[in-house]
Amino acid sequence: MSETVALLILAVALSALMWGIVSADNRLKALSAIWLVFFVVSASAISHEWARMTSELVSEEGEPHYGLPDLWDGQQVVCIHFPDNSSHPDYSDGRHHIDYDGTDFMTDSDSNATGACVGGFSGYENGFDLMLDATNVTGGKLEVGYTVSEWGPYVTSIGGHEPTGDAYWALYHDGAMAMVGIGDLVLDEDSVIVWQVDTW
Amino acid sequence: MLGAHAIAVGPLGMLAINISLLTLVGWALLRAERGLPDGREWTLLAMLAIFGIFGRVLLEPLPNIQPVTVLVLLVGVHMGAKRSIALAAVIALGSNMLMGHGLWTLYQALGWSLVGCLGAFAATHLNTLPRIAGAAALCGFLFDWVISLSILHTLGPSMLPAYIIAGLPFDLLHAMGNLFFAAWLASPLADIINRHQGVTLEATENVQVTA
Repeated sequence: MSETVALLILAVALSALMWGIVSADNRLKALSAIWLVFFVVSASAISHEWARMTSELVSEEGEPHYGLPDLWDGQQVVCIHFPDNSSHPDYSDGRHHIDYDGTDFMTDSDSNATGACVGGFSGYENGFDLMLDATNVTGGKLEVGYTVSEWGPYVTSIGGHEPTGDAYWALYHDGAMAMVGIGDLVLDEDSVIVWQVDTW
Repeated sequence: MLGAHAIAVGPLGMLAINISLLTLVGWALLRAERGLPDGREWTLLAMLAIFGIFGRVLLEPLPNIQPVTVLVLLVGVHMGAKRSIALAAVIALGSNMLMGHGLWTLYQALGWSLVGCLGAFAATHLNTLPRIAGAAALCGFLFDWVISLSILHTLGPSMLPAYIIAGLPFDLLHAMGNLFFAAWLASPLADIINRHQGVTLEATENVQVTA
């Protein structure tokens, strides 16, 4: 979005310049050309920003994307749900929805879970790759701690929360508990991964 | 839809080629029009239809930007509703023969016809370039909303407001494109049309466009 803002400033500056140097007869031609170029170049960014602003939560129960912004329909999402007694300080007021570029654009305060979902990804085939990239966009707020053994990576902490006793970070894929570890999880184009703390 | 045939040309390159082609078509049509005797109204309409069809097809890579809406608006203003409806229908069908014909063609023809009728209805008020440019921008939204009605064939009416709201950035692009084409085409097209209009004018007046 910062590129769009920079382009907007450039378009305003150019418009002011043209207003001063172009004759009144040709002013509309020059200004319309400048702003047409601006809108064409920024079309994708403006459209995506608008989609974020007007996005609604998917209401069809049973869908893997249920409760997620419809902006992410057909795309991959990673959700981290923190326990009630140990909510994340940045995500304690509901479930935050964070786009692939790190923009926190919607919070569902009616959600049963607190935490964050990071979505808008595509093309990932491995769960662990998606998880690391998705959590990275939050600038360390959802940092993943893990150990690697012969069974693959084992997640020990997320966002600073490390379960103790018989609690552990449990992995769900498209609404069902995953039968394999995150390192072996094969994703679909619209996979939804959920991490939440369960007990043995 | 137009390929570069054995030469690797990126999207920007193809867009540059398309804009060059459209400029060439426009220039050739303008030169041909200068050779016409005065009063060849229907010949002029045919030439505008060719420019509209080529404009829509060649500018397809640009999202929702094409000269058709402005053309039918200006024809509505200067030549009346009937001729603008004829132009709208011919451009919609002619361009969709290349881009894909279906139910949407009907809605496009209806949308552009409505734009032309509004131009004819408001002709006496659209007598300056800023007014025409403003009307052209508004017609971008109007046309897109008429097209949006086609979703009623597959989705319920309750989805229509959300569909229209979601499409507002594309409507804005259409409006900006119309503003651009109106700024560049309104005055020269008014001169050309006025030269070819005979004594069989419709109810509209000759509108002198001033900057």
